[in-house]
Amino acid sequence: MKIQFQLNGKPTEVEFEPQETLAEVLRDRLNLTGTKVSCEVQVCGACTVLVDGLPVSACTLLAYEARNRDVLTIEGLARPNGTLHPIQQAFIDEFAFQCGYCTPGMILASKALLDENPAPSEAEIKEYMDGNICRCTGYVPIIKAIQRAAKVMSGQ
Amino acid sequence: MMVLRRFEIHQPKDVAEACEMLAHYGEKGRLYAGGTELLLAMKHNLLRYDHLVDIKVVRGLDRIEPSDSKLVIGATVTHRAIEKSSVVRERIPVLAEMEARVANVRVRATGTLGGNLCFAEPHSDPAALLLALGARLQIQGKSASRTVAMNEFIVGPYETCLAPDEVLTAVEIPVPAPSARAAYLKFQIHERPTLGLALVLDTEDNGETIRSARAVVGSVCLTPSRSDKADALLVGPRSQVERQLGDAAEILADEADLADDLEGGADYKRHLIGVFLKRAFLKALSR
Amino acid sequence: MSQPRSEEFRVVNHSVPRRDGIAKVTGRALYVSDLTVPRMAFAKVLRSPHAHARIVSVDTAKAAAFPGVIAVLTGENVSGVNPYYGHAVKDHPLIAIERVRYAGEPVAAVIAEDERAAAEALGLIEVEYQELKPVLTPKEALAPGAPLLHERQFEAGALRGFEGEVTAGKGSNLCQAARVKWGDVEAAFARAATVVEGEYYFPMAYAYAMEPYVAIAEVSENGATIYSSAQHPFMVRHDLTTVLNLPLSQIRLVVPFVGGGYGSKSYTKIEPLVVACALKAGRPVKLQLSAEEAILTTRSDDALTWMRTAVDGQGRIIARQAKIYLNTGAYAENSPLVAEKAANRAVGPYRIPNVEIECYAVYTNTVPASSFRGFGCAQVTTAGEAQIDELAAKLGRDPLEFRLANAAEKGDSFFPKMRPFDGNLAEDLALAARALDWGKPLAKNHGRSIGCSGSDAGAYPLTSAAVRVHADGSVSVMTGSTELGQGSHTILAQIAAEELGVPFDRVRVVSSDTAITPYDRSTGASRTTTLMGRAVLEASREAIAQMRAMAAQLLSAKEEDVKPISGGVECGEARFTWAEILSRYFGLPDGDVLGRAYLRKTGDLAQLPVFWEVACTGVEISVDEETGSIRMEKLATVGDVGLAINPALAEGQDLGAAVMGMGIGLFEELIYDGPQLMNGNLLGYRVPRFSDLPREVKLQLVERRDGVGPYGAKGGGEASLNSMPVNIANGLFSATGVRVRRAPLTPEKVWRALKENKR
Repeated sequence: MKIQFQLNGKPTEVEFEPQETLAEVLRDRLNLTGTKVSCEVQVCGACTVLVDGLPVSACTLLAYEARNRDVLTIEGLARPNGTLHPIQQAFIDEFAFQCGYCTPGMILASKALLDENPAPSEAEIKEYMDGNICRCTGYVPIIKAIQRAAKVMSGQ
Repeated sequence: MMVLRRFEIHQPKDVAEACEMLAHYGEKGRLYAGGTELLLAMKHNLLRYDHLVDIKVVRGLDRIEPSDSKLVIGATVTHRAIEKSSVVRERIPVLAEMEARVANVRVRATGTLGGNLCFAEPHSDPAALLLALGARLQIQGKSASRTVAMNEFIVGPYETCLAPDEVLTAVEIPVPAPSARAAYLKFQIHERPTLGLALVLDTEDNGETIRSARAVVGSVCLTPSRSDKADALLVGPRSQVERQLGDAAEILADEADLADDLEGGADYKRHLIGVFLKRAFLKALSR
Repeated sequence: MSQPRSEEFRVVNHSVPRRDGIAKVTGRALYVSDLTVPRMAFAKVLRSPHAHARIVSVDTAKAAAFPGVIAVLTGENVSGVNPYYGHAVKDHPLIAIERVRYAGEPVAAVIAEDERAAAEALGLIEVEYQELKPVLTPKEALAPGAPLLHERQFEAGALRGFEGEVTAGKGSNLCQAARVKWGDVEAAFARAATVVEGEYYFPMAYAYAMEPYVAIAEVSENGATIYSSAQHPFMVRHDLTTVLNLPLSQIRLVVPFVGGGYGSKSYTKIEPLVVACALKAGRPVKLQLSAEEAILTTRSDDALTWMRTAVDGQGRIIARQAKIYLNTGAYAENSPLVAEKAANRAVGPYRIPNVEIECYAVYTNTVPASSFRGFGCAQVTTAGEAQIDELAAKLGRDPLEFRLANAAEKGDSFFPKMRPFDGNLAEDLALAARALDWGKPLAKNHGRSIGCSGSDAGAYPLTSAAVRVHADGSVSVMTGSTELGQGSHTILAQIAAEELGVPFDRVRVVSSDTAITPYDRSTGASRTTTLMGRAVLEASREAIAQMRAMAAQLLSAKEEDVKPISGGVECGEARFTWAEILSRYFGLPDGDVLGRAYLRKTGDLAQLPVFWEVACTGVEISVDEETGSIRMEKLATVGDVGLAINPALAEGQDLGAAVMGMGIGLFEELIYDGPQLMNGNLLGYRVPRFSDLPREVKLQLVERRDGVGPYGAKGGGEASLNSMPVNIANGLFSATGVRVRRAPLTPEKVWRALKENKR
């Protein structure tokens, strides 16, 4: 099948078989390998991408579901000139990753959170992000990065 | 990486066509909504279908429609849409609270209420609460429509009363009276709940008397479970009901047919039912 | 968090941003799963449903005929390779041959044009098994008449890493035994004033590196190239030389970014299988496991430890005795070394004059166990630190004060023949205690615990590095250390930048390509900062020495008159940058100088361990007595790192390790019901999440510059895990007076223990 959708702000058309997941199509057909696949049972969040602004598990969502929708992957977050999104910069500044495998999903989940709730409390961060697993950092630096990004994004 | 085996996706123009497609493909076809449970089972090759009938493309099933006495939630409304719905938050707040804690934010964004109920996974949060709320399910088949109660709908683990050509179209939830108090609590160790406990009380005298009660336990058992006998013990003056909570919990536990599994031993689950019935009671009445 | 830093350093000892930062936050960082090579085919693995069975027949005809299938590999048709591998014991067939020894063992592999075709074809393979009786626990496996997993004796691997002979295959299911003994334990227990004794269990844990095992193999007349998610590419290379019967030079392991290791990617995993698939298919082959298959590949050794510890009338620990049974699973992997380390580490960082520890790694029909962060230490610290608290309780003493009274002191030769203790536990414990408000009253149902561990860390000191200074003054560091997330690319660049006086941004780290980067034994055992960091420092200095000699020659000056300054040299009035020296010396603005360093077991590295990895952790927990749930209230870590090359990275290691240890203390456990693993996926295997975090976290580093690493650095990264599971148990005791000796302390287990106690 063939679908059209907005991918990282660009109109995109792609052909694939119906059983292919969004992660497969992004990684194998569109060469966007920033989306990582880990647990494959929608527990870990490594494959998180945003569809119409909401986080989904690309490892389980069919690519078919992207038709006519707006998909944001980690590759689409920085500005075209390379300027990092404030969340990306905050992840670097706070050492909010180590191996980096959970990071694309973690950053996109953070973006969905901050778009919905620009000044989340620590408790709200923990609740929203609870479905994204990081095995390296022990999470504290990620919370700090989200708090830092929230401040930058709200112009504080 | 796990891969899904080949299948085709079909887009019915309305519910009637979906029913026809399901009838046509028989065991090779299955209705597909959010896919959060179905696709996992298919990835693991536990289920295999050559045809998926996408019910989400049918217009009108993704709406929440309020009336005086009930909310009608379309089968393809997502958990997130229910969680965020102002009409749900206002009229059945316990439903929005439960939905806000289903699985994780990604599952809630794609998973649908109808899909959750039709998959009949034993650890369903919505199934337990909807049974306590007295929800009814609207079903449409090739030739007829019907409405069934929750306990008639889920007949076993991963098993509903739906005939091969039938589609769940909506869930009707009676809006609890202003005097009603409700709570849904869950206890979770792994990814899915160990115990879900739903309690809906109708009260008078500002909560000092319980006029009627429905308590449901989920996740500890293969299908959500309740008991008239247990509910009867939850009726009366508050102080009396408080003394009877332990007995009510025992009856609920007896009724639930508890088993030892990875979530815990049957005796532990029995104990948890007692703890959480008490907590749910206090929470419901604290509103 | 960070403390004021010494002004002595320009780059080192500063929390400079990670070198891999931009790549990792933009999704551009490449892992093996992201790589493709031309003509690449894909493999999928068929796994045994039985724990122990004879393979009667495998019919692959239908699978081979499936569209898109290139070849099917089985134990019967594996060819062109020596199928048995193992760096310690060569007991592991790359695919089951005649027999399966655990449920989940690879029985066949389909190689196809795409993953879907391979997956479909797996379902068409027909295998007939004749089931054999499995043994699932060390006790069953060592019982008289138990079925044997391995009937023949094995060759020792070339890099076995442990002392003594290989026991495996000598007529029992004992894979390897290790023993530590000094003093006279029996006599000491006979005169002891107080003794505690008990049995403790550390569970089967799954490291859950979020990138599951993945490898691509390409074999041609030019040798083999393997891209792999391996922690130790040089160790894998060594294993593959015997699998492929090729010289070291013909085998090239390339490791890009690795998505987490924690020990689970130490040593050889799927590489021999992928190489055999590539040979069978005559094509490059990629094998990407799922997380669920990764669980069926490697786990931690679970350990049942019987231990007793004695004190004299003055409250001094006088003896410790233990017998540790490691459930090693179907193949040795690295368990023989885990056994040796577990035996050593059961002593604990205490002065104990009489010690006898026996540790047995035992084959069972379960998933093979191997290295796991902390390497045997967490297993035995779970027993050892519990006994310290049990003794303190029995003596009516404060557990902190009791530890302080018995801890090894700096310079103590507390472990015969090993390096004297190089930590300072008295200070570290006090720091951790202060962070926990030790001694202040606790709220109801709250408990506190402090624990420590000392590991003989650093593995074998064989490490080399090359530092290339280019004609524009920029620098390449060539290192065999793998970037697993720990930050090696950052700290090694910091060290080279510091030494050569060049900007941090001008240093590039090239890592883990066995054809290009100099030899490094391994990236594990918390050794990279200490050993590779020092190799980079020495190689930088060697490059400086060469450039100084070049400058002297250019200036017709004596070498001693040429003085290295930051970023170049001076000689009288003349000053030259590195770029100027190179351009002048080579006559073109190009060319480079290669500085090199080899570290080996000599000089101050002659005595093992390379360093004692010492850490303290402390917790405050609260217990919901109705459900048995434990919540983390506070966490404190104290990491003795000698000098933090990058303080933020060092703290990150401590926190990550502590949270991993917390997971094992609270809920992480692979559970077998008979021969089948019941929770072999992330739905059933629970790892720590955001919501599990303690309310308060305090991370502290101590920097006494007393290590053998660069600028006095010592390693970190494992130690904060070791005492965390037992902290949870000791914290429960502090809160309720009830002791649970089996980790994890799940709500149900705690509830049962509390109930039992009330009776």
